[in-house]
Amino acid sequence: MTTGFWPQVTAVAGRDLLRERRQGDVLWITIPFGAIALLLVPLAIGTDAVLLREIGPGMYWVIVMLFGVLVAVGKASSETVPQQDASSLLGLDPAAGFVGRAASATLLLLVFEVVVGIVAVGLYDISVIGVPWLLATLLIVAIGLALLGTLTGSIVNSTSTGTALVPLLVAPLSVPLLLGATQAYEGLRLGHSIVSWVLLMVAVVLVVAIIGVLTARPLQET
Amino acid sequence: MPQQTRVRRWPWVAIALSLATALTFALVSPPDDTQGDLVRIMYVHVPAAWLAYLAFFVTFIGSVAYLLTRHLRWDRIAAASAEIGVYFTGLAIALGMIWAKPTWGVWWTWDARLTLTAIMFFVYLGYLALRRTTDDPVARANRSAVLGIVGAVQIPLVHFSVVWWRTLHQPPSIIKPDGPAIQDPMMLVALIVGVLAFTVVYVSLMVERIELIHLEDQRNAFERIADQSVAGDSVTAPDLGGSS
Repeated sequence: MTTGFWPQVTAVAGRDLLRERRQGDVLWITIPFGAIALLLVPLAIGTDAVLLREIGPGMYWVIVMLFGVLVAVGKASSETVPQQDASSLLGLDPAAGFVGRAASATLLLLVFEVVVGIVAVGLYDISVIGVPWLLATLLIVAIGLALLGTLTGSIVNSTSTGTALVPLLVAPLSVPLLLGATQAYEGLRLGHSIVSWVLLMVAVVLVVAIIGVLTARPLQET
Repeated sequence: MPQQTRVRRWPWVAIALSLATALTFALVSPPDDTQGDLVRIMYVHVPAAWLAYLAFFVTFIGSVAYLLTRHLRWDRIAAASAEIGVYFTGLAIALGMIWAKPTWGVWWTWDARLTLTAIMFFVYLGYLALRRTTDDPVARANRSAVLGIVGAVQIPLVHFSVVWWRTLHQPPSIIKPDGPAIQDPMMLVALIVGVLAFTVVYVSLMVERIELIHLEDQRNAFERIADQSVAGDSVTAPDLGGSS
């Protein structure tokens, strides 16, 4: 096993991405599932174009939160206990493992956000405004969700309920990200400053990242 | 064998006395000029909400202390506090809804304080659900301590939501830089007595619940030992033959 922190992060992230390339869980299951959800909403609430344009951005972010978490958790809880023991015996720093898993989940979440975003723009006729800020928001939300999903995935890993508990844990915790993302888009639409909302999301990301890194070792011991 | 425990009476006496005192003050305080007797809900709603904050903050402290010291005592404190916090958050939400209907005209409104309080309730409901996924006290303590720390991020969000966002819910009533919002001294005293009484209830319930969790852990440990073979699977009871 490579000894440095960042080489270990790269190795773990590379392993997860390689697994995704072989299995295609995100590409062939989660992304189509998210797109179907966007397609179902108008069938339930009506096909009024003005209404859909109004609620479209909010629906998009809700879909990203609910389905995106599946991406992060799937990667975090895919290791069996013997695999974890083997990684530990090879000298993998638990914090590097956490950061590596979160990094690969971030990349996959970005792909998920972009593809589902294109579908949402097409279906709901959403205006794409303030592209640099929008891209920054997408990136921050992807990092935040990846960190939250990886952390909760580590918490529930090898428990009796498995990942069934994850949605209950992640959904309420991701509320600051959902608020920040939706309000940032609304601010862009109305021409207001969105710095405070971006700072809120960055603060959440930093807090979860610090907690994840500091608690990686105790969680590995379970 | 789990140790025998004696029944303590003082927590229940303290709970009864403090609640009786709080009830007396709530009933003798004057009605509000605009809300009338409806304002009396405040003497339970505000202390219940205060207790929820206190309980979840103690859960956070217990979680941090457990990860630093690895003493299960801290985990028991965090767990007991979360249970009481969930109960009183539920009570605060329910009472808030009952109060909202006649004053705001609706049971629920999409106000930042209300919504974030409901979300905080679900965060700690998840915390309690997580604790039920394993009987191993160390694994349970490690997992729930992390969630106890992450969940605490919600507490300042809920508290300051009425300051940061323009909301229907009124801003803090007692602790304000420019003095309490409640002008009538008797109403203020009744509210403070209510908060103190609920704090006594919290401490009393904590003492009882921590003891109960300790006994549950001892019982679980005893049952695990009882289920194990004395000398492992390699040694079995002698087969003495005869009909079964």
